[in-house]
Amino acid sequence: MDILLQQIVNGLTIGSIYALVALGYTMVYGVMKLINFAHGDLVALSAYIGLVFYTQMAAGGAMPQALTIVLVFLLTAIVVAIFGVLLERIAYRPLRNAPRLSAVVSALGASMMIQNGIMLVWGPNILIFPSDILPATSWNIYGVTITFVQAAMIIITIMLMLALTLFINFTKMGTAIRASAINQDAAKLMGINVNFIIIIIFVLGSMLGAVGGLFIGMYYRGISFNLGWTYGMSAFIAAILGGIGNIPGSMVGGYLLGLFTALIAGYVSSAWAEAFTYILLIMILIVRPTGILGERVAEKV
Amino acid sequence: MMNRAKIGYIILFTCLALFPLVDNPRWLTVITTFCIYSVVALSVDIVLGRAGMFDMGHALFFGLGAYITAILNVHFGYNVLVAIPFVIIIPAIIAIVISSPIVHLRGDYLLVATVGMNIVFEQALKNNLFGLTGGPNGIFGVNAEVFGFFLDEPLPIYYIAFALLLFTLLIIRNLEKSKVGRALHYVQEDSLASESIGINARFYRVFAFSLGAAIAGLAGFVFSIQYAAVSPEAFNFMTSVIFFAIVLVGGKASIPGILAGTFIMFVLPEVFREFATARYFVFGFAMILSMILRPEGMFPAKYGKLPKYVTEEKA
Repeated sequence: MDILLQQIVNGLTIGSIYALVALGYTMVYGVMKLINFAHGDLVALSAYIGLVFYTQMAAGGAMPQALTIVLVFLLTAIVVAIFGVLLERIAYRPLRNAPRLSAVVSALGASMMIQNGIMLVWGPNILIFPSDILPATSWNIYGVTITFVQAAMIIITIMLMLALTLFINFTKMGTAIRASAINQDAAKLMGINVNFIIIIIFVLGSMLGAVGGLFIGMYYRGISFNLGWTYGMSAFIAAILGGIGNIPGSMVGGYLLGLFTALIAGYVSSAWAEAFTYILLIMILIVRPTGILGERVAEKV
Repeated sequence: MMNRAKIGYIILFTCLALFPLVDNPRWLTVITTFCIYSVVALSVDIVLGRAGMFDMGHALFFGLGAYITAILNVHFGYNVLVAIPFVIIIPAIIAIVISSPIVHLRGDYLLVATVGMNIVFEQALKNNLFGLTGGPNGIFGVNAEVFGFFLDEPLPIYYIAFALLLFTLLIIRNLEKSKVGRALHYVQEDSLASESIGINARFYRVFAFSLGAAIAGLAGFVFSIQYAAVSPEAFNFMTSVIFFAIVLVGGKASIPGILAGTFIMFVLPEVFREFATARYFVFGFAMILSMILRPEGMFPAKYGKLPKYVTEEKA
């Protein structure tokens, strides 16, 4: 029983990372119908940038720790958002009217470029996040250990998801985003600047991904240049599970996948965890071809 | 136009046939690899370029062929030639089994499902499935002695790979001219319309998968002889991604495009070995650039006999 609860806590922690990263995939897919394969590598990049910011600021030692952390998150999110917008401008916008597969190859190229760019700048070895970024406190509730990092990750993720849901559903910009996701041409006729909406989508997605990347660094501590593919693919599966293009779907998918992975790792075998994840994905796709919360798409004739 | 293509092929094949005269073992190895990878890329093209299914897990079938050869030879002590029927039939059957439930998925979902298959395969290899696959290190010591000849010497293996390339091109030429090839083309263009004129889209999609798998399996056989060893890294999902990219950078359903794509992705890296670390950075950039400049690929396919409205790109 204790193991079960412990694995649920661990699953929620990993699920938070997946959900944050999955939102980046799903928002881009929703509006542009494009799998942004480079998103995972932006997440990896944010872990590296965050580490640089932290070491620079902590070296001065003048600021209180809490302020440093907030600044690290903010600055990383901003820098990664700039990269996200650049990515869209360079790799995706010229291909907006090209065949869909060309954009997929361009995305793969961008992914390769970012991943190897990280390797060229920071080297191929694993870098370690310092352990004293967040307090090492942990609570023991009925035999289940929750560390400060885990609690912070779960709470911040839920708050961010809440904020995003409110933004998408109750603001003018959110309405414009939803409209562009349904039909770009009709949205243009209604006076929506679709180019601007796409930039907003990339900014939001990259910022959420940046938070996810920093969480990866703080939780697992070791980061390597190719972590983008590992976490990116998992988050992408989470998005597919929930129904890609569907924002609540990715949140549900992220947590579901996190719980599933943690339970498999706890009860079956961690060496096979990834294989089980994909088998689950294929099973779900066979039963529901558009994901759990995905809507049925009627084929136009 | 047709004649120019014919002359091009004759020149290419003559060059390839006479290539061993160069007598440089390193280059011979590189060109052997080029032949093998071209065959795999052409087999990916059957699924991706001709049947229009997003297949990002094709290294699975390539790896299956290589591992079947290595397992039969190293664990069971059979001659490598015995493996030939198995490396064709087993990947084809597995392709039928795993593709039939998923071929109807919409593009991106199919892509993820095939990625998943490839990763499950890779993890099975790494975890030493049934004690046969040798774990992360793979299997060493494939013994390719046949009637006193050693097939893994540079010269014989080169000619085997070259013959395999010719054989594959022959199959593809026949496919293009056959009823099946036309059916695949219509299924790709518009599966609903093709079904309404009596083409069984599902059958042809599964068929494309299994034909691609059989060819890739055969390429895996040659690959495992060339290196006398197999390991999971050679067949991981990154390899599938590169093959996927080759087909699209070269041009779907276009043989010159795919040969050129394979040359650029696998042979040029050998030339620029000294820039090893920055290599993939430059490649990534080149992939973006080539897609922006030529979204249809370097050498887009030209269709001779199809009416123009079939080949026009829909908006």
